[in-house]
Amino acid sequence: MEKMLVCIQCPQGCKLVVSYSGEQVTVTGNKCPRGAGYAKQELINPCRTLTTTVKTAFVDFPLLPVRTLGEIPLKKVFGAMGEISRLLVKKRLRPGDLVLENLSGTHVPLIATDDMTMGEQNVKGSEICG
Amino acid sequence: MAKRLKLVAEELARLGLTAVYPREWRRSIVLEGEADSWQQYIDAGYAAAGKGYKGVVNDVRVRGLEAPREYLPPVQGGALEGISYDAVIIGGGVIGCAVARELSRWDLRVALLEKEDDVAKQTSSRNNGMIHPGLAAPTGSKKLIYNIRGNRMYTQAAAELGFDFDRCGSVVMLEKSLYQLALPIVRVKALQKGVDGLDILSRRQVAQREPNATSLQHGGISLPSTGVVAPYKVVVAYAENAVENGAAVHLNTAVLGFEMEQGRIVGVRTNQGLIHAGAVINAAGVWADKIAGYADDRFFTIHGRKGTIAIIDKALGPTQKGVLALPRLGVKTHTKGGGLNPTGEGNLLMGPTAIEVPQREDWSTTAEELEFIISRHLGLNRQLRPRDIITYFAGVRACTFDEDFIIEPSEHVPNLVHAAGIQSPGLASAPAIAQDVAAMAVEILKTTREVKPNPAFNPKRRLAPELAKLSLEERGEAIKKNPAYGQIVCRCETISAGEIIDAIHSPVPAASLDAVKRRVRAGMGRCQGGFCTPALLEILARETGKAPSEITKGRPGSQLLVGETKTPQGEGSGHERS
Amino acid sequence: MSGAKWDVAVIGAGPAGLAAAIAADKAGARVCLVERESRPGGILKQCIHDGFGLVRYSQKLSGPEYAWRDIQQIKERGIKLFTDTFLLGLERGKERFALTLQNSKQAVFPIAAKALVAATGCRERTARQVFIHGQRPAGVYTAGTVQRLINIGGHLPGKNCVILGSGDIGLIMARRLTLEGAKVLGVYEIKPEPSGLTRNIVQCLEDYNIPLHLSTTVSKVHGSERTEGVSICRVDEKLRPLPGSEEYVPCDTLVLSVGLIPENDMLLPLGTEIDPRTGGPVVDQLLATTLAGLYSCGNALHVNDLVDYVSESGEIAGSAAARSALGKQNCPRHVPVIPRGDIHYVVPQKLDIAAGGQGIIYFRAARTLADASVEISAGGQALQQKKYPAVRPPEMERIVLDLALLPPGTKELSLNLRG
Repeated sequence: MEKMLVCIQCPQGCKLVVSYSGEQVTVTGNKCPRGAGYAKQELINPCRTLTTTVKTAFVDFPLLPVRTLGEIPLKKVFGAMGEISRLLVKKRLRPGDLVLENLSGTHVPLIATDDMTMGEQNVKGSEICG
Repeated sequence: MAKRLKLVAEELARLGLTAVYPREWRRSIVLEGEADSWQQYIDAGYAAAGKGYKGVVNDVRVRGLEAPREYLPPVQGGALEGISYDAVIIGGGVIGCAVARELSRWDLRVALLEKEDDVAKQTSSRNNGMIHPGLAAPTGSKKLIYNIRGNRMYTQAAAELGFDFDRCGSVVMLEKSLYQLALPIVRVKALQKGVDGLDILSRRQVAQREPNATSLQHGGISLPSTGVVAPYKVVVAYAENAVENGAAVHLNTAVLGFEMEQGRIVGVRTNQGLIHAGAVINAAGVWADKIAGYADDRFFTIHGRKGTIAIIDKALGPTQKGVLALPRLGVKTHTKGGGLNPTGEGNLLMGPTAIEVPQREDWSTTAEELEFIISRHLGLNRQLRPRDIITYFAGVRACTFDEDFIIEPSEHVPNLVHAAGIQSPGLASAPAIAQDVAAMAVEILKTTREVKPNPAFNPKRRLAPELAKLSLEERGEAIKKNPAYGQIVCRCETISAGEIIDAIHSPVPAASLDAVKRRVRAGMGRCQGGFCTPALLEILARETGKAPSEITKGRPGSQLLVGETKTPQGEGSGHERS
Repeated sequence: MSGAKWDVAVIGAGPAGLAAAIAADKAGARVCLVERESRPGGILKQCIHDGFGLVRYSQKLSGPEYAWRDIQQIKERGIKLFTDTFLLGLERGKERFALTLQNSKQAVFPIAAKALVAATGCRERTARQVFIHGQRPAGVYTAGTVQRLINIGGHLPGKNCVILGSGDIGLIMARRLTLEGAKVLGVYEIKPEPSGLTRNIVQCLEDYNIPLHLSTTVSKVHGSERTEGVSICRVDEKLRPLPGSEEYVPCDTLVLSVGLIPENDMLLPLGTEIDPRTGGPVVDQLLATTLAGLYSCGNALHVNDLVDYVSESGEIAGSAAARSALGKQNCPRHVPVIPRGDIHYVVPQKLDIAAGGQGIIYFRAARTLADASVEISAGGQALQQKKYPAVRPPEMERIVLDLALLPPGTKELSLNLRG
């Protein structure tokens, strides 16, 4: 069996040809090893980095951009979005700070990608809770 | 009597409109029956015009065509139930608002009813902002009288009300050198009409005055009394000054009928309740015939004439001094065909076109119309390219078949005044029309009571700071007093948060995105609101105490958002971290 | 009235401006950075998706993370950053640029700078600029506005969305709207091929079963209050609507991703020459414009597809501006770079051959070509050649040229792209 894929690991977008029979998978068309890994994963269980936002308790920074530290199964994305939409960040976080340790049972953490402490001193009367 | 009716019948027959039947009603003519197309309907109307009747009522049905749809605000309630006013003005366009301001000179309870969510929503904002010199208005018409007078009044109106008025002049260029022979006659005509100034220009003089003007011109005439304004700002200025002097402006208020007693209007039925009125002024624009009908005084029919206008980027504004036009003879239209003019806000605009349309509130644009404008006007200024167009829009003029203004007290309803059929040069004529209409209303009220001047009347509108007009020092002082003037929200037009907040809390408050735009231009620049829409929305929500999802672009129902994205389960519970 | 004096002033604290300020500081100049928004980072603040920094950091960062790295450097280096500050006026004096700034705290105040870096980014083309007709109901937004509404404000602009244009921002917003609960009915592209990166077609559209319709455009928006639907139609190879192909798609939102326009309005009064093809100033490889002391970079210079190259151009402009301000620049000697063959545009448009070192040349193809090659030549002599399996107009190409290769007496350089 053969399948055509476009690698999404980088902007080059290599056109991959994946041949497989049973356990045996061969990948051609990739310009780097990441392409082969991507193609194999794509056949078994496509995984993606999820980027979105989380509501915060701060008026000057109402939404915090976040991303998964690593990829999660594509099929779990909507479940994860549901969990994320119920979160409220009550502490001023910085890029890399943990928002959730285990997003939707994937064991992949969710991290902050923006700096909520920036410009904080400019905001009068914003309560810092948490 | 029967002779002119016969004339109309003959003309209809000549046009092949065999299913159209004319009859006389009071001093007017009524057309009934059927036509096959909108063009036939229009032809029938004009066939009946100019035959000596007071008005043309065109009730001809067009087969397969739906009746004009009218917007009615989706608001019901009794907010105005039982309120009594001396004068009720129907319509918040330039005429209605200017009349409200003129009536506020008197010690009267004045109300202006507007069915839209803001003043200046229809024809009064959807035009080219031209203050015509009066040359195009026909001799003997009301258009001519009011245009000449109105044009002269603009200088004072602008000074009192604080809107920008640029008497930039116009140059009407000639397509062929042969036409120069007619110019002395045009000069005499202008003199007879009372046009303030006219100069005949050679080809070289036109090029000197407007170096970027098309090389296809063969001289022309210069009309120094031509001016331009931002029409919506004129309307807002009149409305605000009226409110400052005690008038009430009721938005989202549509007139649904009149309560009549012995031929007089005693009540105005609206979606917000029944209002008692001493005198009623019909300034209802494209629906003025319908309003007249509520009082059984429908002696004219309004038909819509759509005009499309394209706006050119501000960067090109300095390439032209005044209005440029190059009329093409032999092209039959009901306007002189539009032109290319400064907007009074630094841009240029092209148009308008003139197309007869059955729908009076359909302001959609079409590719054909825009292409026509581009082919017709873009080349008048050699610096312009199609990519310089930042936006375009359309408006619908309220025309009668007699093509003249109707400005008079009703012949049949003693307390009703009509200001109807106001099309080009309606904006230019507005200050003069308002003066006369207000005087007519005062005369009506004087028959039943004493009317004294309003002792508190102040002709000068209070102006919020407009930062673009301040020197750097004044600007600095304004920011020190109110730091919100320091924060720029609309980057294309350099409009501050402070100016936007002022507009939201002005005498006729801006409650929507477009209403803000109409007052302070935020979102009107080259990015067309791409950058500032989110910020404007948040400021509007904050200042009006509404949720962002309630904020509209304009009318109710034009909400900008459908909701919020996140729904945390309240603070202190659920999944939140630390 | 000249106010604080700086060697270099950088206008705009997006990725280009941040990189320019850091580079100017590294080169020893006293530099200040002027930003009209309340936080630095520019458009990256709202680009919360990942994929930024593969070239510069070999990592897939989100936009805010990418910007944060430079913002940290700005802080560490103590570079003066004016936020919430608007450039009100700009004039070229004899020795310095005179800038008039405005903010809420300092009101109106002047500063002066020997060199100026314009890093003002770009704006989006609007519905009317792609000649969409109809009334003007609510619910018609550019993709960047939607991105700002969702990612910064937390607002959902619509439930049933049609996207016109397959540029990367449009594709990213198709996924983003879907994730936040809206339905994206389809992406329509007037051209016969997508404008965005292939990987975004896969991970933004295919992952979520969003259809992509090529050679199809939106001609009309329906509705008078809120958008009720759009008319779509197929187009022929000259992008003209095909009669009879019109279809009605009910939707409440139209999102436009139909191109970006460099913002250089503040430069117009200075009389800098603008390249009509790029929409940005005409520059040499140091990103010096035709006005001495004025430099341009990032998306204000020309629209880039990768932020990494935006930063790169910021670094070039920032360090060149610093050298110019500090009087370390040689007197320039310019030769034009002439685009030939299937080149849509080339930046820089000229080379300062007195500067020496390397010159980075960016170009875009005018059309899609397979097995393409580009050749740089001077006086009929080929200097450098590069082969590509394919070149596409949406993908910017980059060549590094060693100026030492130029033969003496070079009058012009030509860049020739062939399929």
